[in-house]
This record gives sequence, structure tokens and C-alpha cells, in this order.
Amino acid sequence: MPPRFRRRMNPQPHILVIDDEPQILRALRTILTARQFRVSTAARGEDGLAMAAAQPPDLIILDLSLPDIDGIEVCKRLREWTQVPIVVLSVRESERDKVNALDHGADDYLTKPFGIDELLARVRVALRHAARAQGAARPVIQAGELEIDLADHRVKQHGKDVRLTATEYRLLAYLASHAGRVLTYGAILSYVWGPGESDHIEYLRVYIRQLRKKLEADPDEPRYIINEPGVGYRFIAEE
Amino acid sequence: MSNSSSSILATWKRIFVFSLLSLFVTLAATGVLYALSQVIDPLPMALLYLLPVGLCAALWGLTAGIIAAILAFLGLNYFFIEPRFTFFVHQSQDVIVLLVFLGVAIFISQMVGRTRDSLAAARAREQEAVRLFRFSAELAELHEDLAIAESIARNVRETFQAMGVEVRIESDAGRPELIVRSPQNRIGAFASDAPVRVPLQKPEQMLGEIRLFDVPADLTPADERLLQTFSYEGVLALERARLIQAETRARVLEESDRMKSSLLSSVSHELRTPLSTIKAASTSLSSEAVAWDSEARNELLDAIEEETDHLNLLVGNLLDMSRIDSGALNPQQHWSALDEVVDTVLRRMRTTLRNHQIEVDVPRDLPLVYVDDVQIGLVFTNLISNSLKFAPENSVVGIHAIKKDGQTLEVRVLNQGPPVPDADLELIFEKFHRVTSGNRVTGIGLGLSICKGIVEAHGGRIWAENLPEGFSIKFTLLTVWKGYAPQIPEENEPSTTHPGD
Repeated sequence: MPPRFRRRMNPQPHILVIDDEPQILRALRTILTARQFRVSTAARGEDGLAMAAAQPPDLIILDLSLPDIDGIEVCKRLREWTQVPIVVLSVRESERDKVNALDHGADDYLTKPFGIDELLARVRVALRHAARAQGAARPVIQAGELEIDLADHRVKQHGKDVRLTATEYRLLAYLASHAGRVLTYGAILSYVWGPGESDHIEYLRVYIRQLRKKLEADPDEPRYIINEPGVGYRFIAEE
Repeated sequence: MSNSSSSILATWKRIFVFSLLSLFVTLAATGVLYALSQVIDPLPMALLYLLPVGLCAALWGLTAGIIAAILAFLGLNYFFIEPRFTFFVHQSQDVIVLLVFLGVAIFISQMVGRTRDSLAAARAREQEAVRLFRFSAELAELHEDLAIAESIARNVRETFQAMGVEVRIESDAGRPELIVRSPQNRIGAFASDAPVRVPLQKPEQMLGEIRLFDVPADLTPADERLLQTFSYEGVLALERARLIQAETRARVLEESDRMKSSLLSSVSHELRTPLSTIKAASTSLSSEAVAWDSEARNELLDAIEEETDHLNLLVGNLLDMSRIDSGALNPQQHWSALDEVVDTVLRRMRTTLRNHQIEVDVPRDLPLVYVDDVQIGLVFTNLISNSLKFAPENSVVGIHAIKKDGQTLEVRVLNQGPPVPDADLELIFEKFHRVTSGNRVTGIGLGLSICKGIVEAHGGRIWAENLPEGFSIKFTLLTVWKGYAPQIPEENEPSTTHPGD
């Protein structure tokens, strides 16, 4: 692990919050500071872009509706020069915007109003993925009783091998290697079935069902594969 | 100019035709009388000669009668008065006979002709009256500009035998200009002809114009009067239609105004209830007067969280209601698994569900449904939230789905709450309708009408039923969309993971 990176992660990751609501900025600053993050805030998109360039943060929390420029535009412009993780904030009614933001480089999203546990989980996952992107990929993913060996193409539950079809495995491996992060329907479909099939959500539904049947202890309360309606799926690796 | 010269021409043409007809009748009569001239004296001959005159006047009117009278006078003189076959007259009494004959013939033809003409005029007036009556009766039933214009065009064309009639109604208060042609298939072919134009005019405003193309005969003053009357009738009908439209608009506005103020008052009430809870709980927690034990503390915090979720649902519902009202719901439909939708909703509502028993029976092998999973999730959220509100604590709230037939699923959300009066079973889906059962429960009554809006936008149906011990809402969702049911590519089972070592 490069020492430069260690210094950035420790002790205080720097989070830039771009949102035009002063109340949200105030609350997030208080909460995140209490959790040992260093927080800076911007109320406008242009200010946020300038701040991100002047003092590169470890993570950006970005509201999609900003007074000056579109949040998605901010995403695009950030992605022109940095891979800093971006978590976007949006409201329930705009699933399309969320998918759009994810397609344009955002790492994850949160629907307003959100609980702080959810926010912290997203922040943690995004920081961890950023760290991993710079280090080596984990060959084995552990999630509860589930063990996915990406190098060996092997899935074990309670130490026993689970038989998966080629497509099931490809789907699971893709989800699990982005554990904690939401993946859009389109992204999953084009990775697993090929770019031409990115509209066939029905494939995804059926294969997710099959995977759950094989992996979940109680398919009624899925633990590993969680649906995000209108957006995509998320693999949960944490306890 | 061209009109008056052509009408003079037509008059002459008419006189010529009548002259020919009269000549023919008079000649025929002369032939018959000539055959009888051996047995009949000239005097009765003169009387008999009045017959063709009367006949012509009766058949073709005054002009033809007078022409026949002159011809008969000449005929009588030429063929029957001595010396015959000349126009000379020898005896003075014959001169008197001839002059009297001419006078009487003209007089008779005038009398008969006038009677005939006035009869024809009366008949024409009657026909006009009937047409006008039919026209205004037809117009009385029409309340739309388009239908009125079509009626005007058709009636004018039939009455005046025009090849084509065009009715233009000018744009007004946001209405675009309207052009109606009769017959319809001759669109565009009218433009080259010079039309007869009649305005559709109110005293203070021009509403439009009627244009007649290729009218066969020239319009007489009577025709023009009739056309004017048609235009008056049309104007009246248009004005009436506009008044009715304005009245409807006013009523709709009034109604929506009433709805809005009722919405505002119930919304502000509805929003204040959770806000009061939140305010009370948070100020209690921050107050230093009481040392809360951890259980009480958690309860207050849970109350804050629950009420926040409730507020969020409420605000979302308001937004969705306005979307449904303006037809902007736009479901983003794709193939979705109902079990997954229900799981997600239950996961999100976990904290609010803890005081009830949730019984889920949504088989995993149900066919996929073509829906917007976010909106259908909202239907479940509202139905479950309603159930929690009305059903007693610790009672069962059930969510069941079955395959109804080849292309529908039937979903049922039931609870053990009080029944709804049968008369209200349909009304509960109306906006702001609330079944009052005790004063414990509140709600703006938007939830069910949103469910209805969403389900119907997905091509489904929603209804309520009382159960022996409780109450249920059922709705249907489609598993086939535009004749298409999802096809999943088959895959051979052999796995890529190695079976056990």
C-alpha cells in the first residue's frame, strides 16, 4: 500500500458537501465532523468544482438540484480529471436523474430524506472502493456465510460449494466485486449479457430470483442482494 | 357587374324558352281549331282561343301567358278573321272582337299567372321555412364549434346546390382558426373559384365567414335573404356554444378552487400532526428538566423517525396527486418481480410495522409484471400504511398475490380493521374521501386515490371489499404487455464453479 495514500485516509478523510440548502449543510457538517471527518461545504456547483480542484477531497457529497448548474453536469466535469468518489443526493421522484448521475460517474446515491446510518454506510463503502481501486482487487469476497473466490470462480456457503450457472456466477461476481455500491440495471445487463441487452431487465429479475434461491437463507428477506427500485441492485457484504 | 349582366341574360333566356313553349301550345291549338273552322263561327273561335292562353299561364306563369295571348291574338286574326291568311281586318266589328279578345286574353293570363306565381312563391317559402326549421333544430343540439361549422356547411350546400361550401371560424381566445369544407373530399379544389361570401357576424365581432363555390343559378334576393338567415342561425349557435363552454370552464374552475382550498386546509392539518409529535419529542429530549431513561428516550426517537417517514409519504402523495391530476404520472414501466417490490417496501417500513403481524404470500414463481416498480411500491406503501392506521394493534395485515389468468395477477392487501359501509366502497377511492371511524385516525384521503391513479395508469383495476373479519383492497397488474410476455434465454445447468473437492 503506497504511503501517500495511507496519509490521505488517516486520520481525517476530507469530505466536500455541495448542496444549496443551508440546513442540510449545517446538519451534515455537524454530524460528519463528529464522526472524525474533515468537512468543507459549497452552496453552488461552480464553487464546489473550484473547491474540489483547489483542495482535492477524499469524497464528494453532491445534491443533484443546484441553483447554478445541473448536478449531473458537475459529475461530468469532475470525472474529466478526478476519480474521487461521488455520492449524489436526490428526491424519491427522480429515479431517472439518479440513474443518469450513476451513468455519468457518480458512485452511489441517497434519497432525501435519508437516515444518517445510510449516509455513513455509503460514505464508508465509497471510500473503501476508492482505496481498493488504487490497491489490488481482493481475490476473495466474504459476505456473512458466503465466500466468493474471484480468482478460482468458486462460491461457497457455510464452507460448501454452491453450484451456479455461468450467467449466475458472472452476475454474482459483478455485484459482489462492487459490494455495498449500487449498480444500475443497464450497467449490470451490459456487463453480464452484453451491451446489446441492456434493456432486458426481465433477464436480470429472473436470474436475481435464482441467485437468491440458491444463496439467501430466507428469500423473503434478502440479505445479500438488495433491490433499489427504479435504479438497480446492491450487494451487501457487511454484517 | 358580371352578376347583373348575366342575370339580364338569364331573363332573356327565360323569355325565349317561354316564347317557344307558348308558340308550340298556340300552334297546336290553332291546328285543332283550324280543323274545326268549318263548323265553328269566328266568335266562339275567339272564346276557344282563350284556352291555350290559360294553359300557358297556368303551366309557366305570367310571362308565358302574355306571350301566348299575343300569339293567339295574331293567330285568330290570321287564320279565322276575314280576309283569312292576312293580318288585315275588313269589318269594324271584327276589330272590336280582336281587341276585346286581346284584352280578355291578357287579363286571364295575368290572373292565372299571378295565382300560379304566388302559389310557387308560397311553396318556396314553405320549403325555406322547413329547411330553416330543420337547420335550427339541428344546431340546437350542437355545442361545439366544429360540429356547428359542419352543420352550416352541409345545410348551406344542400339548400343552395353549391358545388362546395367552406365555413371559416376565426381564431378566438386561444382557439385556433377552424376551416370546415363540405363535401370534405374536395379540400383544396375550392380555392380557384370566386366564392359568394356571407359573414358570420355578431354586432361587435366577426366570428367567421361562409363561402359558396359554384352556385348553379344566380342567387335571387330571396336566396340572399335565406342565406343571411342561415348565417344568423349559425352565429346564434356559435354564441350559444361559447356561452356553454365558458360556463363549463367556470364551473370546473370553481370546483377545482373548492378542491384546492379543501386540500390546503386538510393538508395543513395533516402536516401539523406529525410536526407536533416531532416538535414535542425533540424538545422533550433536549429539555434538561427530566432525566430520560433509555427506553423512554428510544421511544421518543422512534416517534420522531416514524413521523418523519409519515411526513415524507404525505408530501410524496401530494406531489403524485398533482401529477395524476395533470396526467403527468408517466410510469417508467419495465418487467419487475412483484415479490421483490413487496420485500423492498416491507424493508423500508420495518419500524412502522412492528405493532402488527405481517403475513406475506407472494409466490416467487409468479410471472413478472410490466410496471414502474417505484410507483407500484408506493401503492403497497399506501395500502399497508392505511391498514396500519385502521386495523387494531397486533392484528394481521396480509399481502397476497395470485395468478388470475394468462395475463393478470391479482393482488390483495387485507387487514382486520372495521368494515367500510357498502355505499362507500367505491367512494373511498375519491380524492379527500375519508371513512370516519372514530376520531383516532386521520388522513387526507389521498392515499387510495393515488393507488387508483397509479394502478389505472398501469392498465389495472382497483377495488375494495369487506371481509367477514376485516377489509381488503384488491388490484390487478398485467403480466403481458402489448401481447408480449418476457422471454428468458435458456441456459444449460452445468456450472462453472467446481463441484465439491
